[in-house]
Amino acid sequence: MVKKKIDIAVIGGGAAGLAAAIKAKEKGIENVVILERNEELGGILPQCIHTGFGLRYFKENLTGPEYIFRFIKKVEDLQIESKLDTMVLEITSDKKIIAVNSVDGLLELQAKAIVLAMGCRERTRGALGIAGTRPAGILTAGTAQRLMDIEGYMPGAKVVILGSGDVGLIMARRFVMEGAKVEAVVEILPYASGLSRNVVQCLEDFNIPLLLEHTVTSIHGADRVEAVTVAKVDANWKPIQETERTIECDTLILSVGLIPENELSQTASIVLDPATRGPIVNEHMETSVQGIFGCGNVVHVYDLVDHVTEAGELAGESAASYVLNELPPLRKKITLKAGDNVKSVVPQIISGEEPVTLHLRVKRPMGNVKVKIGNLSRPKRVVRPPEMVVINLTKKALEELEKKDESKVSIEEETEL
Amino acid sequence: MKKKEVRVITCIICPVGCKARVTIENGKITKIEDLECPRGEEYVTRELEAPVRDFFTTVRIEGAMTPVLPVRATQPVPKDKILGCVSELADITVDAPVKAGDVIAKNLLGLGVDIVATRDLDHVKRRV
Repeated sequence: MVKKKIDIAVIGGGAAGLAAAIKAKEKGIENVVILERNEELGGILPQCIHTGFGLRYFKENLTGPEYIFRFIKKVEDLQIESKLDTMVLEITSDKKIIAVNSVDGLLELQAKAIVLAMGCRERTRGALGIAGTRPAGILTAGTAQRLMDIEGYMPGAKVVILGSGDVGLIMARRFVMEGAKVEAVVEILPYASGLSRNVVQCLEDFNIPLLLEHTVTSIHGADRVEAVTVAKVDANWKPIQETERTIECDTLILSVGLIPENELSQTASIVLDPATRGPIVNEHMETSVQGIFGCGNVVHVYDLVDHVTEAGELAGESAASYVLNELPPLRKKITLKAGDNVKSVVPQIISGEEPVTLHLRVKRPMGNVKVKIGNLSRPKRVVRPPEMVVINLTKKALEELEKKDESKVSIEEETEL
Repeated sequence: MKKKEVRVITCIICPVGCKARVTIENGKITKIEDLECPRGEEYVTRELEAPVRDFFTTVRIEGAMTPVLPVRATQPVPKDKILGCVSELADITVDAPVKAGDVIAKNLLGLGVDIVATRDLDHVKRRV
């Protein structure tokens, strides 16, 4: 077995991992290694061939490949080592990493700090428990995207999409552009799960029906999908049998949510937040294990890559400070708890002393609200589940915050004076 | 006789997603309501007069790690020309290596936009 000592290991070479590695190297850390399972760097971005990336970070409207190759080039320029085709099998709380690839065989890396950037995975049919047969032609949206836009295959000709997450909406448009017919996008909620700009550009532009408060109740077909049954649901998401109808199709695409990928975090006994399903992190993006940091979709699922990059930079900077002995533990810990209409908040632990950016996911849409952080209050015109709420707290703002061990973060209706 | 019509357009400039109520009389916009900001007015006006969209797709590539190359248009194209642009590119095959920014097709459909590669793809020997 190859044994090596390194400064910082970054697990995952997507948007978060690349940003973290670049920042750490720029802060003067010599020995930064990116461990990537795929045969190239970039994570999910190379297959996201549409535009809309970088509007915030670069103030430019880029495609996924254009966005991520700016970072890949930087990694190359800074001569950061990346091990591709490399699968990390285990990490320990004393920052030992066991990985394997076909060049080194088994690898044991002893790092001073680790940045977790493994991203997230799509929920599958198994997670939904849809009744019916098990034919070919049932794919997650991201798999369909990879097949179509990286591997050059056409996954189907007559398509139903279950769930209206962003990747599902993007794929509805791609299927139509490549000559398929998209029969419907079926969404159980009374509103689309994806960004409104994607509902307009991907569905309305191509007259694709969006069936709200509907779900797929059964899949038909022996070798290949032949049809799906869809039904309207009641207020408790229970299908109403009388409304069932069959839609003929050869492909069912699932766009029903993303789950942070934390198998490795668990091998290091890192404490996870049941709301985000990612590690609990403090304002330095440090997990419950000192010297192990997390960033991007492994911490919680973002809607914009620009925010993922920023989180990666913060984690990379913190990891570098840790290695340089410049990252003291927080002097005070305020735990942020999700309150009314807040599903999750990251970071979960702040000091209340240093400026911090909070990322919130709300449960349901609301207008004219106040975002409450303990005794602090910030007005918002509108909050919606697909769009992460970003709250910047300056040092000055934090002076006003009552320093309790626990602070509730909640969304409240604006009260008329 | 005056022809009057009210249409609802969802603004896609920012996440707020205002639903603008637009009054059109004799083919001219006479009133735009329910918008939060001037950027929305610009979008809604363009959306009604000459809607455009970003355009991107893939073309075939020989001799690279993957069989398709992602490409985009240098400027947005008219919304009703998107499927026409896709068809126009369907028969194109390029040879690796390709660099991001390389022009794949010039002045597509006479729209005054070029189609460029959005990533590098090196030449590789085909793997078995």
